[in-house]
Amino acid sequence: MSAGRSGAARTACSLLALASCWTAVPGAFAQAPTAAIRAAFRPDAPAARTAFTFAFTLKDPEAGVPAALRTMVVHLPAGLGFDLGGVASCGLARVQGSGPAGCPARSLVGRGHALLEVHAGSQSIPEEAVLSVLRAPDRGGHPALAIFGQGETPLQQRTISTAMVLADRAPYGAELKVSIPPIPTVVYEPDASILSFSLTIGGPGAHGPGAIRVPRHCPAGGFPFAAQFTFADQSRAAATAHVPCPHRG
Amino acid sequence: MVRTRRILTGAAVFCATVLCAGAARAEETVSITEAGFSPNRLGMPTNAFGSATIGSTTGPVPSPIRHVNVYGPAGVTLDLQGTGVCTEALLQQKGTRGCPANSRAGFGGGQGIYQIGKELVEEKYTLDFFLSDNRPGHTKLLIFLSGSSPVLVEIVLTGTVINGPKPYGLGFSVDVPPIKVLPEASNASAKTAFLTLGAHNVAYYRKVHGKRRLLHVRGIVLPKSCPRTGWPVASQFTFEDGSTVMAKRTIGCPRK
Repeated sequence: MSAGRSGAARTACSLLALASCWTAVPGAFAQAPTAAIRAAFRPDAPAARTAFTFAFTLKDPEAGVPAALRTMVVHLPAGLGFDLGGVASCGLARVQGSGPAGCPARSLVGRGHALLEVHAGSQSIPEEAVLSVLRAPDRGGHPALAIFGQGETPLQQRTISTAMVLADRAPYGAELKVSIPPIPTVVYEPDASILSFSLTIGGPGAHGPGAIRVPRHCPAGGFPFAAQFTFADQSRAAATAHVPCPHRG
Repeated sequence: MVRTRRILTGAAVFCATVLCAGAARAEETVSITEAGFSPNRLGMPTNAFGSATIGSTTGPVPSPIRHVNVYGPAGVTLDLQGTGVCTEALLQQKGTRGCPANSRAGFGGGQGIYQIGKELVEEKYTLDFFLSDNRPGHTKLLIFLSGSSPVLVEIVLTGTVINGPKPYGLGFSVDVPPIKVLPEASNASAKTAFLTLGAHNVAYYRKVHGKRRLLHVRGIVLPKSCPRTGWPVASQFTFEDGSTVMAKRTIGCPRK
């Protein structure tokens, strides 16, 4: 084979390989949903008892409203202290039947809010929900939480998401695995989608059961957080964030 | 004489054939593919839903719909306390965002079809139902029909809540004007349609004696009893070609 022919053949093979890659990854250029997360410690002094806030927003660049969220895994920095001593637990059946009001006061460990939306007919209809975080009975030896969501209007609806606290790999210390059930609307219309979510667990001061403590050691670059989201249509999104190290002095 | 008789007989047969061919016309078919209540509980507020397919015996495009009557079972009641109303002018000027949230009555949609030259074009459409009069016995609806691809279509239809003939009860009646998406297109037809009306858990905030209160809307309320054979429902479609088709279905009684 001459040099000219072999050069052309190589080019043709490269183009063919590129075309194969293109067709072998269908939807490679379809836009996936996007996520952004935010975390904060107040106060943020090392080892201090703190109010830990975790928040996220979800978007779908094509559809506007992302598909319904099914699972979320939040990776928490190493050394973040979860002390559930003195925190009562509330069974899921009781949470379901009576809401947080039916649970022991000492089982409430956090509060928050969420903004949901449903696409029905030609409309995108928002709904706000108030969140309560309760300690649930441990599962398989792992601490568990129930995240009770109550929406009032236009549909009065309650949902219970369940979360487990598990060990995680460096640079993280623990992961929160959250399962979110379908949030139905009306027949023939999709389940509600979460657009934004914010939860604050714990609080400063020496009073009250349970405590979240800021890690003693802050790595260079700040406390790392990460989250992965899986949606009802099997699409996924991921995000990372860092909380700056506390100022010294 | 015999030859004359044969000619006359032949002519008569020919005329009869031509007359029959001229009288034969398209026949539409309507099938209610699904109908039900969620939750399905006696005496309780509910979400009523249903879907239908529309076809033609003579071609791929059914005749455009001119009128629809939907009949629910006898004994269903409407409790619209806590709802608001919208106006046709608001809906025309601002679209669905112009209507108060508490005037929403339901949603729906389906697949439309029209012809441009020899080409058949299908277009998905949505329906947004609003109350325009929420007084008992005078209840009226506005229906915002919209499609976006390949052609933008936005039309406001008006409907009236009616009492259906026995064995049916409350239902609604809608006149559908000719829908021409483009000047050169045929009037649009529907191949499928679905609707979902009311819900068991609707609630809105309202100021009562200066205080913000959450008020529940009961909406569509199921009868307190169910006939042994179930609840009969029906929809009657009148088409542009003059034909009328009634499709019937029975919704099973709630389980005890």
